[in-house]
Amino acid sequence: MRTSPMSSAQPGPSDHSEHEPEAPPQTPSRRSFVFSGALAAASVLPRTAMAQRASRKRRVADAPPDTGAAALYGVNENVASFSEWASTVGRLVRRATLGITAPEIARANQLGFQGYLNYQLNYSRIDDGAVENTVLQKWPLMAQTADQLFSADAGQVRTQLQESTIYRAAFSQRQLYHRMVEFWSDHFNQDIDKVGYLLIPDQNDVIRKHALGKFPDLLKASAHSASMMVYLDQNTSRNTAPNQNYAREIMELHTLGVDGGYTQDDVAELSRVLTGWTVTGRGQFAFNPSIHDWKAKTVLGVTIPAGSPSLGADGVKEGEQMLDVLVNHPSTARFIATKLLKWLLDPNPSATQISTIAGVYRATGGDIKAMVRAILNDSWLPASPMKLKRPFHFAASALRSAEPTVNAMTTINNQLAVLGHQSYTWDTPDGYPDKIEYWAGNIVPRWNFASVVSNLNSATTLQVDTTPYRSGSSAAAIDLIDTNFFGGEMPLTTRNALIAYAGTATLTDARARELIGLAIAANAFQWY
Amino acid sequence: MDELHDADCGCQEYQELSRRQFLGAAAGVSAAAFFPSWLPKVVMSQHFASNRDIIVSIFMRGGADGLTLVPPYGDPAYYTSRPTIAIPRPDAASGTKGIDLDGFFMLAPAMAGLAPAFAAKDLLITHGTGQTFVSRSHFDAQRFLESGKPNDPSVITGWLGRHLSTMPPLKAAAPLRGIGVANGLQKTLVAPVGGPYPPRVLPIADPTNYTIGGAAATQASRAAFLQSDYATSDEPLHSSALDATNTLALLKTVNFSGYVPANSAKYPNSAFGRALRSVAVLIKNDVGIEAAQVDIGGWDTHSAQGPITGGMANTMADFSNSIGAFYVDVIATGYTVTLVAVSEFGRNVRENGSAGNDHGRGTTMFAMGKGIAGGRVLTKNWVGLARENLEAGQDLKVTLDFRDVLAEIVQNRLANPNLSLVFPTWTPTMLGVTR
Repeated sequence: MRTSPMSSAQPGPSDHSEHEPEAPPQTPSRRSFVFSGALAAASVLPRTAMAQRASRKRRVADAPPDTGAAALYGVNENVASFSEWASTVGRLVRRATLGITAPEIARANQLGFQGYLNYQLNYSRIDDGAVENTVLQKWPLMAQTADQLFSADAGQVRTQLQESTIYRAAFSQRQLYHRMVEFWSDHFNQDIDKVGYLLIPDQNDVIRKHALGKFPDLLKASAHSASMMVYLDQNTSRNTAPNQNYAREIMELHTLGVDGGYTQDDVAELSRVLTGWTVTGRGQFAFNPSIHDWKAKTVLGVTIPAGSPSLGADGVKEGEQMLDVLVNHPSTARFIATKLLKWLLDPNPSATQISTIAGVYRATGGDIKAMVRAILNDSWLPASPMKLKRPFHFAASALRSAEPTVNAMTTINNQLAVLGHQSYTWDTPDGYPDKIEYWAGNIVPRWNFASVVSNLNSATTLQVDTTPYRSGSSAAAIDLIDTNFFGGEMPLTTRNALIAYAGTATLTDARARELIGLAIAANAFQWY
Repeated sequence: MDELHDADCGCQEYQELSRRQFLGAAAGVSAAAFFPSWLPKVVMSQHFASNRDIIVSIFMRGGADGLTLVPPYGDPAYYTSRPTIAIPRPDAASGTKGIDLDGFFMLAPAMAGLAPAFAAKDLLITHGTGQTFVSRSHFDAQRFLESGKPNDPSVITGWLGRHLSTMPPLKAAAPLRGIGVANGLQKTLVAPVGGPYPPRVLPIADPTNYTIGGAAATQASRAAFLQSDYATSDEPLHSSALDATNTLALLKTVNFSGYVPANSAKYPNSAFGRALRSVAVLIKNDVGIEAAQVDIGGWDTHSAQGPITGGMANTMADFSNSIGAFYVDVIATGYTVTLVAVSEFGRNVRENGSAGNDHGRGTTMFAMGKGIAGGRVLTKNWVGLARENLEAGQDLKVTLDFRDVLAEIVQNRLANPNLSLVFPTWTPTMLGVTR
């Protein structure tokens, strides 16, 4: 029910009753603040709504938002940031990490915008030894080769990969790097339940190795990954009957994009070029010349002349030639640039932004670090809309801010399944969506997660210590929550509501946990 | 009834505003500048329709092979194209043969769960169905089928979301009109928030376990805190939080675990079976649910299709037995529900070298309900599987647009006069899908 009581509700059980009589819908929806113009809105907005609006910044964009068909049949992807988010360095920390911590904000303020960006980009210089030692100790399969993993328990492979992934994302000092690991894990998405143990070497040798490297190296490593061959059925393709699955997705999802200018004929021809790309032994990529199609092919206007079986292993060069064509194609530069901009900056990047970053791709041979550096600049970033955290990001950020002692990640990994975002279980090759209209409705599992995490105090899972929140007044506890969870930029409305909820008495452990849970569940904590 | 309608729709001013919000004109920019030429005017329903159907919409994700689901065994090209994965004829000696439907089409044996509804003339199957816009990309084909306006990436909302946005609620105070039984909201249900009526749509993966956790004693006050905190949130999070807090209270009143299906219906204990069971519970509890979107994956059979005993047979059994249970539990007992099932495309007529098949074009669609003119396989200009009649030499042609089937249901079973908003720029041909 979109009724006016919501905007003026005081916390209290009576406001949570079901089956209230239906009131007329509040005339302008929140949406109108964004899509209707200020003039049109001002004449009809109730006073309270205007007051709410005043606490929001206007989004500054270099072009007017598309208010045509997209506004009619679209959703709001243009959410202005909180007025409290005044610090440009703070905006950068939110975008470059999987969540705020007090030390990270302090570090960024000390280094300044550019200094902090450089610090995170040059990730190999950040000491992450403590986190990697924990990974080795708790999830030893992560360091094994395909040959060793072949005989590992499939359930252990699954949970160790998933648990180490959320652990690293939450606790690694190399935060921007892990934002990019998450990005490429979706770009080259695979389903653990189809590829099994092969996914660990894929994560180590493809995604984690090249996450901030060169895109051509990343794409080629993926094309030589046994895991990818199995996931997209390339290992079942042969000259007598090519399988088009991988040939299609490498163009549609990995390089050119669906509107990148290829045809169904190009898919069929590329699938012939790639015949023989398969796996052998215990998870090793291989080229098998005996099932390769040696006849002439034409892909994207490039003709590969007929070869001969006597060329043997050299037949793999046909496919490698096509990988070069793909990574050098202008559609690939645009597609990768657009997707990176959507991930790091804005769900609706401008034409100028896309051509600028595509230009960086072309000028640097697809250097990911150079593109990320160009995107996260101190002019574009403060003007960009907020993005809704996906559940994985939300969970990682809750852990970062709550700073629990980690004994095991089992509970968190199970909760990620409830949140709909457990790593490596999206079964189709497009990867988990990064779309607000997909995730916005999934709010109750987030609130439940907030409650679960804040109440964890077990030697076999996680322990959130409430002592620091109970050493002073309840107001001091709210200040500490502001520092740890919101970087000192908690919206005033949330702060006031938390103060009201806390009361004036010294907090009990249970009350402190509820406040932490409400902070994680609060509106402002869902955005970055 | 008109009074009710007025109370809900919120009067003339709201209609006017809604229209502006639908247009989303920016300040200082004339609406005409952004007015898409295909944009129709919202028609307000004149009556609070209470006798319209609830719709259960199913998406078979991955490109379901209609030629295995419902093979045209009367076409010899079916058997010559599929030397290893064809289903034996209904009159074959084999024990695992198809189930005859009309002397030309048959059901795969694993689809037996749908046979009773077909025999009772409550199940309509269409063939050679799909989108005239050619895409063999899963993701483009899915989003265009869900948006209801193929080849227009600017349409982010879905046809069912727009249906809810242009119809008054069946129950005025219902906090949950549409449910996506999923972790994230399927595009089919994504609605324009500023529409004439509040869509009240949520994705709920497991309605039987919908809770914010923590101490029971403080749940209500914490929920109230959250409802207040999200009051200033932007769309779409704002509506989601409001609908969610109201739905939390609603679902507490529904007894899922003690539910006994009618007619001894047995839902498979699969994700899909449990989802349909939960939808049945919501319908029978009269909570005001109007639309449910349920997904079933496993149809992307590039290799080792297994139409008789393998992977696809298992998926088909799950699909047909779950819908079969829903049929005897809900539809056969007289609830006014229409169920539809679609997939983004079919698969190549000829099998590939991996005993599977790659992305194709025309496929089957299913429509079920007491208001559906069932008991037949509906085709339009069916051209068959002979090679010279295939699209691009490889695929069953799309000769029956999916929107013709859905539009007739939206108009005749869901009583929505706004077909041009639900399926923009499409002038449907009524094929007699409904009774």
